[in-house]
Amino acid sequence: MTSKINFTRRGLGRVAAGAALIGAPLPLRFASAQSAPANLKVGLILPMSGAQALIGQMCKHGADIANDIFVDIKLPVKLEIVTYDTETKPDVARTQAEKAVEAGCHVLVGAFDSGQTIAVAQVAEQKGVPLVVNIAAAPPLTESGYKFIVRNFPTAPMLLASAFDLQKQIFAASGVTPKSAVLLSINDTFGNAMVNGIKAMFPKAGMPYEILDIITYDAGAKDLSVEVGKAKASKAEMLMPICRLNDAKLMVQEMVKQRWEPMTINPGTPGMYEQDFIKSMGKYAEYTLSIQPWLNPKAAMTKILEKHHKAKFPGAQIDIDAGFTFEAMLIAAHAWLDAKSTKPDALMASLRKTHIDDHVMVGGPIEFDAKGQNNNIKGTALQVLKRNIAVVLPKDAAEADLVFPQPGWTDKRRT
Amino acid sequence: MTARAAIGLAALLALLIAAPALLGGYGLSVLILVLYFAYVGQAWNIMMGFAGQLSLGHALYAGLGGYIAAGLYFHYGIGPWLGIFAAVAVAVAAGSIVGYLGFRFSLAGVYFALLTIAFAEFTRIGFDNWEWTGGSGGLFLKVERGVVDLANLRGGPVMFYYVILALAVGALVLCRLLLESRLGRYWLAIREDAEAAQAVGVPVLWCKMLAIMISAALTAVAGVWNAFYYNNLFPETAFAMGRSIEMTLAPIIGGLGTLFGPFVGAVVLTGLGEIFTAAGDRLDIPGIKQIFYGVALLLIVMYRPAGVWPWLAARLGFAERKP
Repeated sequence: MTSKINFTRRGLGRVAAGAALIGAPLPLRFASAQSAPANLKVGLILPMSGAQALIGQMCKHGADIANDIFVDIKLPVKLEIVTYDTETKPDVARTQAEKAVEAGCHVLVGAFDSGQTIAVAQVAEQKGVPLVVNIAAAPPLTESGYKFIVRNFPTAPMLLASAFDLQKQIFAASGVTPKSAVLLSINDTFGNAMVNGIKAMFPKAGMPYEILDIITYDAGAKDLSVEVGKAKASKAEMLMPICRLNDAKLMVQEMVKQRWEPMTINPGTPGMYEQDFIKSMGKYAEYTLSIQPWLNPKAAMTKILEKHHKAKFPGAQIDIDAGFTFEAMLIAAHAWLDAKSTKPDALMASLRKTHIDDHVMVGGPIEFDAKGQNNNIKGTALQVLKRNIAVVLPKDAAEADLVFPQPGWTDKRRT
Repeated sequence: MTARAAIGLAALLALLIAAPALLGGYGLSVLILVLYFAYVGQAWNIMMGFAGQLSLGHALYAGLGGYIAAGLYFHYGIGPWLGIFAAVAVAVAAGSIVGYLGFRFSLAGVYFALLTIAFAEFTRIGFDNWEWTGGSGGLFLKVERGVVDLANLRGGPVMFYYVILALAVGALVLCRLLLESRLGRYWLAIREDAEAAQAVGVPVLWCKMLAIMISAALTAVAGVWNAFYYNNLFPETAFAMGRSIEMTLAPIIGGLGTLFGPFVGAVVLTGLGEIFTAAGDRLDIPGIKQIFYGVALLLIVMYRPAGVWPWLAARLGFAERKP
């Protein structure tokens, strides 16, 4: 017996509709989650103007693409994200946090800078609204007994411990170990904090080199010839620059001029991995080595993040600001999924037991200790290779081979 | 004071006392900012508005006051009401040094202003490297939820609101008494013409020294309040030039040398600030607030160069005696 199947247009339409009905629930579910009203209202409190405006805006990029990424990773949550500008002032941060709570935000996220974050934290604590700290390194944030705070960012001691550990990994991987080092540091709050931290931790870190000198320069310096000359005269084999963007450029220009070619490892400060530095320094930016928490290039979610970031902000560099701010949104979304409630106590209970294996930054699962600190964040060694930033260590996240010591300024490998 | 002005003032005070019951958390936090800037503006007004000495480094006294009281509480558990005496003493000492160097050697105008900035700056650098105050990493006070402890200034915004309200009213009364006193009249004479005042026997150096000491003391008290309200201090912000400038704006916009100028200026500035912040949030253009704010200040200075309060007082029939 033979059966005959008639492929009419109507029949095909019925089959297609049936298949769509059976096969579509998941996409439909996520699509409906995105078109439906938001599940959770998040107050994103950042310095969008003032001295830290650029950083605040880069942080916001991570939040702006969060809902799109949730669709891609099939996380059935939609966040309503409302941004509040701190103007880089703690007192404004506090009033903005009050405004966010009154506007009905269920979770606060912010605020990049420790002073502003503490101002927000007090409102969060007094009102009983959870605060997810995206970036702020001051230890007291999670050491002061706050009940409504979790922080997904390393503390300053964690950053430095990670820097020392990765330096050892760099020496082991390259087979080259310097016997002496010199610190060349910007003399501002951040620079002082780094230098003091290094001074305090260095004796216990078991490093194979000695620090011959610590040379500081003014934050407004327009010329570093004297400082670089002094560092060169120390005859140190390795330079540890503690810098920001503009002085990083001045420093490298002066090193080229003075033909000083030490091994160089930035122990955890900005400047040398920034897009502007790479663009303006050209071949002299190549092989620059910095230690930073960074996006895990091998994580599937990072690729999705990069895709959306590139589409929405073409030409903009994606870095830790966007990465950690996106992760803060991810943490808030998971908390809502677990709590199935917007009540502060339920959300906070869920935040405390957060466990997220798949995320974007290098490190173990996102989880918080009793004080609200995520201790699983790891540093990475970043190297500028072919005008791009590549993770070269730790090995499980590395996307390129480490080049250390760096080739000389006139080496043909620099193009 | 006219009966009409007295009634208006009493009504305003009653409204301010009732404010926590009428406003939400956001409204209250804005009102706290208004009163804080009114208070520090009043303190700065003694220097510039009454005695005619331009200080652009008043953050020095607020920073010192805050750090001393917060440090004593943090390290030794000494409450702020005791710590405030040490804070005021240190700020007055600092003010005396600045004042003596400036007034004894006849530094006036912008040169004196530069001296005040210089002191605030090198104090900032010193505190950046002073471990007792936490250095550049900052000094943090513990925050406790649901506690109202006036003795140690630990509590929520409502408690801090009433403290800053009391301070602001106290500063207003003090300034009124000072203006009515012989010292106040000496200050006004010095402000108008220091040489003429000296010629008729006014002890100019001593009067200027008293102005800076009283102003520093009042500003240090604001610093103590600020430190315990925000629970954190960083040298970079506590002694910042921007902080000093903020203190000058309310009296300049409200009316230099007037009693209510700092209050009116603080209301106008904070109110405008919040309106422009809301506009910036709505338009989603970062930094637009600062542009609006700058234009608004420019217009006020252009069209009301004597400040908003003298003009407003004349319209309302509350004309303040012109000092």
